[in-house]
Amino acid sequence: MRALMKKVTSARIELHYRETIDDALEFIRAGNAVNMVLMDNRLQPQADFRETVPAMRQQGFIGPIGVISSSVADPYFQKFEEYGADFRIDKSELDPTAIEFILREYVTKE
Amino acid sequence: MATLLKNHRRYDIGNDLEKALNRVDFFRIFHTMSLRFGFDHFGILQLGNENDACMLSNRLTLHDLPSGLAEEYDKRHRFGDSLVYKSLHASSISSVWKADDPHLGNGSNLLAQLGFDLLLCVPVSGINGARYAVLFLGDSDDIERQEHFELCYDAIAAFDYFYRLVLSNKAGLGLTPRETEILRWISHGKTASEIALIVSVSEHTINSHTATILKKLDVVNRTQMVAKAIREQIIQ
Repeated sequence: MRALMKKVTSARIELHYRETIDDALEFIRAGNAVNMVLMDNRLQPQADFRETVPAMRQQGFIGPIGVISSSVADPYFQKFEEYGADFRIDKSELDPTAIEFILREYVTKE
Repeated sequence: MATLLKNHRRYDIGNDLEKALNRVDFFRIFHTMSLRFGFDHFGILQLGNENDACMLSNRLTLHDLPSGLAEEYDKRHRFGDSLVYKSLHASSISSVWKADDPHLGNGSNLLAQLGFDLLLCVPVSGINGARYAVLFLGDSDDIERQEHFELCYDAIAAFDYFYRLVLSNKAGLGLTPRETEILRWISHGKTASEIALIVSVSEHTINSHTATILKKLDVVNRTQMVAKAIREQIIQ
């Protein structure tokens, strides 16, 4: 992911990588400024976005959240908006062009 | 979006399109489509009156061009002067353009100005007749007949879904339960960020829902929105 972000030339991206949902929640709670959350659908221990995104929202995070998965076409993904996520993207689709588009849609417009 | 009959859903077009929910989903569909046919980028262009002054950046409703490319183009060139733009108003047949076409000189060569070698334009229209074009840009030498036909079909189908779900004017349509909930909070004087906290979504989502409510109620601001909603007894 870090290598991918380096290829995006139109924006300066500071990536904070957190391995578990608890670490991510702690990072938000600590008051760090975060423009966007990109969340792997499967985080330890066995959670998927239906648990992790609401947990993030309960911490008061109102920025954009995107869910990354290799199975975005699975039926349960059709309800991602109801769980508070803004968008979904397949791991294989995540290239510099996609990152630039997402930043334009959710960060630079605001 | 289960409004189409099986007659419309030939081949495998329905698989991803039926599941698309927002602009990012359509970005994914069009971006993947352009790569699949050997192009690097796509752009969906809104066509208007040919004689209106127009800028490329303003006419692109969805695209994956490098950030700032269209804006840089607009600083140096007039999109309305390009042959591509003029031809989109002259015919609705799909067209293929190459940067080294000899007749594209005199400052009207959109491809060379954008820095690509090949452009495929697929004119499309919404169900109400609103005209658009799906552009595919890349550095290939040419596109074969079969691929050209397939890409046209895929682009027309994807645009149809994109138009109905995202672009169409939804005036007069009913509000969804989530939109009604947001409208109610707006009527209580809550800001977008406050509503985002209350309903556990992003501020971006709230703004997006608010824009849809404005369209559906055919109003121009939040004050008029609440006044009309009370008048129409959508909220008490």
